[in-house]
Amino acid sequence: MKSESEKSVRTKKEDRKTSIMQTALKLFSSEGFYTTTMPAIAKKVGMSVGNFYNYFSSKDELAKEIMLYISSVLGEQLREINMSEKSVREKIDMIVKMYFRIAQERPELIEYFLRIFLSNREIFTKSCSGMVCVSDFVTELMLFFDDGVQSGVLKDQDFFSALGLFMGYLGGMVFLNGEEVLPQPLHDYESAIAENIYNALRKQ
Amino acid sequence: MTIRKWIEQIEGEASVQFEFEKNHVSFATIAFPHTRGMEAILQSKPAMDALVITPRVCGICGHSHLFSAVRAIESVYANCGAPVEISQKAESIRELTLTLELIQNHLKWLYLVIYPELSHMLQEKIADSCRLKGAYAASLATKILAIFAGQWPHSSYMIPGGVTCDPTHVDIIRAEGLLDELIRWFEKELIGITLDEYVCYSSKKTFLTVTGDMKKIENMLKRTKMHEQGFSYDRYLAMGEHEFSKPSKLVNRRMAKVHSKFVTLEEAYSIDEKTYAKNALYHDDYFETGPLARTMIEGVPFIKQMYKNYRDSTYTRVMARSYEAALLLEHSKKLLQSIKLNEPSYIQPLKKIATLSGEGIGIVEAPRGSLIHSVILKNGIIDQYKLITPTQWNLSCGSPEIPGPAQKAMIGSDSIETATFTFRSFDVCSVCTTH
Amino acid sequence: MKSRPKLLWLQGVTCNGNTHSFLNYPHLSYILETFEFLYHPILPATYTLEKIASCTQSCDILIFEGAYDPRMMRAGSRMETLVQHYGSTANTIIAVGSCASFGGMFKQSDPEYITGVGFDREIAKGPFAKSNKLINLSGCPIHPEWLGYTLRMIADNKVILIDEMHRPKELYAYLAHHGCTRNEYFEWKVDAEHFGTKEGCLFYKQGCRGPMTHASCNKILWNDVSSKTRIGSPCFGCTEPDFPRTNMFETKTNMSIPQDVPLGISKRSYLTLTGIAKSFRIPRLEKRLIDDNT
Repeated sequence: MKSESEKSVRTKKEDRKTSIMQTALKLFSSEGFYTTTMPAIAKKVGMSVGNFYNYFSSKDELAKEIMLYISSVLGEQLREINMSEKSVREKIDMIVKMYFRIAQERPELIEYFLRIFLSNREIFTKSCSGMVCVSDFVTELMLFFDDGVQSGVLKDQDFFSALGLFMGYLGGMVFLNGEEVLPQPLHDYESAIAENIYNALRKQ
Repeated sequence: MTIRKWIEQIEGEASVQFEFEKNHVSFATIAFPHTRGMEAILQSKPAMDALVITPRVCGICGHSHLFSAVRAIESVYANCGAPVEISQKAESIRELTLTLELIQNHLKWLYLVIYPELSHMLQEKIADSCRLKGAYAASLATKILAIFAGQWPHSSYMIPGGVTCDPTHVDIIRAEGLLDELIRWFEKELIGITLDEYVCYSSKKTFLTVTGDMKKIENMLKRTKMHEQGFSYDRYLAMGEHEFSKPSKLVNRRMAKVHSKFVTLEEAYSIDEKTYAKNALYHDDYFETGPLARTMIEGVPFIKQMYKNYRDSTYTRVMARSYEAALLLEHSKKLLQSIKLNEPSYIQPLKKIATLSGEGIGIVEAPRGSLIHSVILKNGIIDQYKLITPTQWNLSCGSPEIPGPAQKAMIGSDSIETATFTFRSFDVCSVCTTH
Repeated sequence: MKSRPKLLWLQGVTCNGNTHSFLNYPHLSYILETFEFLYHPILPATYTLEKIASCTQSCDILIFEGAYDPRMMRAGSRMETLVQHYGSTANTIIAVGSCASFGGMFKQSDPEYITGVGFDREIAKGPFAKSNKLINLSGCPIHPEWLGYTLRMIADNKVILIDEMHRPKELYAYLAHHGCTRNEYFEWKVDAEHFGTKEGCLFYKQGCRGPMTHASCNKILWNDVSSKTRIGSPCFGCTEPDFPRTNMFETKTNMSIPQDVPLGISKRSYLTLTGIAKSFRIPRLEKRLIDDNT
């Protein structure tokens, strides 16, 4: 049996890793992914470079762990929505709101996904092929779609067609918002977007 | 005098009402009291489900139904301008497993129906172990079948475009070993000579060298005077196309081509009893189908010789079915050797089945004769499914003026017992008849 | 000589498939020596069906094949009467096949009236509903060894443990998936591209119900040699109360996600595992097993 102190050591290490990732995410967002070096991140978190490598053995490793982290944050939110007793239509509303809220409160999470994960696939091919690093989030989306079709609300279609429509739309809006193209604040669009998504996915 | 008899120990039950006058059967009405409405069950189901449902028409010839169903669906493809390509390998495997189903049927019928019935008529004892020989031999045949089809009864391994199995030489060798065992059993128990000698018989004379159970059965048929009764119309029909059977009809020694458009159904004649059977006719005439028809059409010398002496008597009918088992064993051997493993088992049809709308017909030679499935699909869904089974030809119930083949064969019998035996010589299957 | 237990094989709405499947049993002589068959549709028996239909006999074991329709007439007697009479004299009632167990294929003949003898699909209903004498041997048809096992257990006075659907656990605790030769393809989510190959799993596209079906088909092989999945046919789930389903050659999916996942596993866990397994390309599993044969 593990002692209490061993357990807390482990938890501490996990917490530390999370805080490193959060810091790295902010740096990537402000300085750019390629220009941000490992020593720079170590410095920012107040750690020796040597010690830093105990947490992440390489930048690729860090990049992958960050993606897993984002996926689990979004997955956790989506899971709560999935488990609620709400209708499919209401759940779409909730997902849109949740996504935009995160985009506002923690823009670096969404930006990382859109600007780094999706645009720098070569970094992720080795350890993050397919949907492994986004599996938490994708699994919840699958469950949402499956439930929607089974309950007769959503149209049965190819998973990726639906995924692209849903997430591409949300990602696109966040991108436009980031580029400051949108005349209104993001949340003003929520209900219209949710309705569009519902209309596009529902059974005719 | 009217005597009603339940005919049991067939597939399901039949009720035959005999008119007995001046020590002879003057007429017999055949009724099948049960139906399961298979055609209605098939209605509105996706086409492929017919491959699971139709084998369940019958526990003893379900594989023939599977084959008819797959041919019917493939014919819809062809009629929609998208013919399905089938490899020679898939053709051979389909033909092989069908052949094996015929063999198991004939051997079970011989040992579990014919031999005990003859023994009973002659008041001779037959050991249970003797009857079980039929089950043993049949289980060997179905074991070979299952190597390719996964199981028997109720496999669904034939699909539009081929078969689901992908055998290796290991499977072929296993099948050859089992077939060899079955042939040895056949030689030792049934005929006492080699299969080669037996299938090469050209005249009845040489039958004298046959020993084994077949000799006993032949002798019993004679002692019960089965060569003097059971004559039917002497009109034969085989509609399924196989290496062992050409689609033809034989009337007055004249062979002619056949086409399914001349097949019609009529309500069965009945006096006071509900029957679910419908009579099958070709060009408005009753025809006999099954092993006697097939061997007559193929001109099998052994059967032709018997026919010459005893025409289409119950004797010839029983001998034809038994002899066909031998011919089919020989055929199985050739088929097994001909399977080209390097060919594909399945060639995916170019069109999706859900896009098909049209008609199709699938005909095979089942153990009891020609079996027809016809289907109309609308967007891949069954709009109508019709079954015509072999026993609907043979066991048609016509009026006293124009009786069906089995009725005609029973008329003139000197006892209810012999008439019943003649009825059984057609290999009765009530589940198929009414489906 | 000790008198043998009396066995009566009665048929309802059936295709005779269970009768014929049982004729493949390699130890039929033992069965005929151990039990007295009062009636059987094909095997040698003491009485005719007509005699049985007069309800003057009694039996120790009632084997019922086919779906139960109380209105059906057998040799002049109403099925309801026959089943009541023989069911009350029997110590054990064995429903052979899915029709007798749950209604099966032929419940569809007349869904309003037709059921199994103790279940209507998964609901306890019928003349032997909730009877502790009832043993269900579901399957379309039964495997001969399943009935052989049951009869021998009875002959030897051994206790047969049953599940909530009255099926012997020693036969039905397994899934058809257990022992399937395609298991590795299932583990790594490599689906069969199309029919007619020995490679690939049939669960993703071809409708295979193996991971959701209680049956020992891949443990006790059919006809001693094979099984559906071994020869590339999907399992149709024929031992389950919902057999026959529709669209049996296709996996039901919702936006490409399988509607049903392996028994007792949450969809969330299953999809998580699938997503990961699918992301690995395993060249060995993508190739034919034997290249030269293609």
